[in-house]
Amino acid sequence: MDATIEVRGVRKRYGRTTAVDDLSFTVRAGQVTGFVGPNGAGKSTTLRVILGLDAPDEGTALVGGRPYRTLRTPLLHVGALLDANAVHPGRRARDHLLWMAQSNGLPSGRIDEVLELVGLTSAARRRAGGLSLGMLQRLGIAGAVLGDAPMLLFDEPVNGLDPDGIRWIRGFLRSMAAEGRAVLVSSHLMSELEDTADHLVVIGRGRLIADTSVRDLVASASKDQIQVRTPGRSEAMTLLANAGATVTAGDRETLTVSGLPAERVVALLGERGLPVLEVTQHRASLEEAYMELTRDALEYEAVALEES
Amino acid sequence: MRRDGFGRLVLAEWTKLRTVPRWMTVLAGLVGVTALFALIDTSDQGGDVSEGESLQDADFTDDFHFVHQPLTGDGNIVARVVSQENSHEWAKAGLIVKERLEPGAPYAAVLVTPEHGVRMQWDFGEDVAGSENGEAPRWLRLTRSGDVVTGYESADGTDWQEVGEVDLEDLPSTVEVGLFVASPLAVEIERQYGNNSLSEIPTPGEAMFDNVRVALDRGSPAPGDGEWNDYDTSVEPDLGGSTESDGVFTVRGSGDIAENVRPFDDDLVERSLTGAGVGMLAVVALGALFITAEFKRGMIRTTFAACPGRGRVLAAKAIVLGGAAFSAGLAAAVASFLVSMRTLRTAERAPGTPELSLANPTVLRALVGTAVLFALVAVFSLAVATIVRHTAVAIPLVILPLLIPSIESGGLPLSVANWLVRLTPAAGLAVQQTITRYDTAIAPLVGLGVMAAYAAVALGVATLLLRRRDA
Repeated sequence: MDATIEVRGVRKRYGRTTAVDDLSFTVRAGQVTGFVGPNGAGKSTTLRVILGLDAPDEGTALVGGRPYRTLRTPLLHVGALLDANAVHPGRRARDHLLWMAQSNGLPSGRIDEVLELVGLTSAARRRAGGLSLGMLQRLGIAGAVLGDAPMLLFDEPVNGLDPDGIRWIRGFLRSMAAEGRAVLVSSHLMSELEDTADHLVVIGRGRLIADTSVRDLVASASKDQIQVRTPGRSEAMTLLANAGATVTAGDRETLTVSGLPAERVVALLGERGLPVLEVTQHRASLEEAYMELTRDALEYEAVALEES
Repeated sequence: MRRDGFGRLVLAEWTKLRTVPRWMTVLAGLVGVTALFALIDTSDQGGDVSEGESLQDADFTDDFHFVHQPLTGDGNIVARVVSQENSHEWAKAGLIVKERLEPGAPYAAVLVTPEHGVRMQWDFGEDVAGSENGEAPRWLRLTRSGDVVTGYESADGTDWQEVGEVDLEDLPSTVEVGLFVASPLAVEIERQYGNNSLSEIPTPGEAMFDNVRVALDRGSPAPGDGEWNDYDTSVEPDLGGSTESDGVFTVRGSGDIAENVRPFDDDLVERSLTGAGVGMLAVVALGALFITAEFKRGMIRTTFAACPGRGRVLAAKAIVLGGAAFSAGLAAAVASFLVSMRTLRTAERAPGTPELSLANPTVLRALVGTAVLFALVAVFSLAVATIVRHTAVAIPLVILPLLIPSIESGGLPLSVANWLVRLTPAAGLAVQQTITRYDTAIAPLVGLGVMAAYAAVALGVATLLLRRRDA
């Protein structure tokens, strides 16, 4: 089975609200795909459709080329964490994993392996009601990897984790992708996915906003901005502005310039004899890139509303 | 056994059930509470003779007036029932062969009734219908040939139809034959909330016979034969008697020759299972929680992600829950029975009455039936909870139909109350009955069937909705 998750033209309504509207994207093996959008954008709905829990009104979702509901031992194909609190508080952590393992015919030895993997071995015999949210997240992740599945889905797995836990889960997600698995991680905060995701699927109000690699997204947001450090700052500002660039003053000796390529900026300043101490390509943060994307989306929504 | 397919699901659901300590406590607790109820309910009955008496009653009643003479060897008796008072729909007037003049002695009778036509009856309960509208006047004939007694009826005394034939094993050579009249007790019930005032009133049966002939197949009557004698076991001596003039016999009698239905007796086995009602509430709660606990926390999504076949998941849950409820129910029923029988059972029993022990099939039916009832109630509750998805809605929805008939019916006429029981899941409680009473609404196994039908329909609807709805 190929480890690819495909969402094709999925539309899902609840009553009169459209939660997901004609959404298509692909989650590829060997990558961490970030699934980003504000709260209520339709991320969880999409994950439920992929897992065969909610039936889409239109479109299909396939895991490894098959609808989820046709899998006889789904945990061996797809591991998922939807809600870390979805555990009976009276049940021991290990027993929660035990019934899951039994339902898919997995050996109970696998339970100890995944408990070890998520660092819950010492809490295995504690009841779920007495676990912290961070520990519940780890228990949920243990359930997701129980079947050693080639496809993994995590809905907001960072919630409730302490800084140590956040660092741990980032490393964990990267290692899962490095083993060749398709990993889909949803989050409403783009910053959580910085340094973790290779690919991004951004949605807003149920619609696809961007389906792009992280590198391309940051590059497009950074556009042609460059930062220049020069002692003759005011003179340089006038010069560059006259040459048609947009210039803003930064700290002390720095200027942020856009509208002119870096070579032209250096040439202009050199002609005038102004010393250039440093020229750097400005790199937008993922968050900035995301804000820019969603701003466009919101403007689009506003225009669409006026037109309708 | 390979753990794949459905077996895996059942195992997983069993793990879910056994790993929540509170649920296991409920199961163990219901056994204890049910038995405790039985103990409390029956402890004040110790040494109460009236409670014990019901066990000493015979299984039959043999109350009637008999105008008889001995018959030695094969022969027959013929008579015409000229008229019969409609003292009771089941009043009896006809011919009878009785082994000897003693209550409970084997007999065979052919008779007319005011509302149920001609019947042939024997062995206190065996009953064969003759012509439906064969009321008096009617010709009747009873022949004895060895151990076999055959009953006939006729409209005119020449054209005879056989009604029935019975082999009364080891019939002695000389038996008593003759005319008899009986008329059962009328039951009067006055119902008020919390109080049933019951009375049994004797009814005066009376019938006239003519053309009475007793004939031997061979040989002539011995001296003394042909003399008619009276034998009376009427419930009230005043109501029994006979006169004869010009070959017309007028016979009066009151009572019945029948299986003893003991309409007012306490059903001791059912009584010992009073606490089962409390245990059943626990089963209802457990059945609902087994699925609503998953709905409440979204754990149902983990379940369906692990096992996408939703109907199979529900079936596995029903099997695990039903099995657990059956086991707890059986333990509770047996414990209750043993605890309360210590006080309810009296040392002496009348000959012929069954001993109330675990070896008695009727007792076993009540106890195992209670366990099956627990399983059905649990599955019913699971199904209803799957449909409504909320514990607080599901539990009253299941409990009310189980309890309302027993709470409300005291203020309703008996016929209405009985229909209420027959049509609701409460019918399942009938499986605890071991005797038939005046207020018996439905036969034990039929009642259990009604409960099973409710559980099956609810489970079907639940499966349909579970498949169709988003999780």
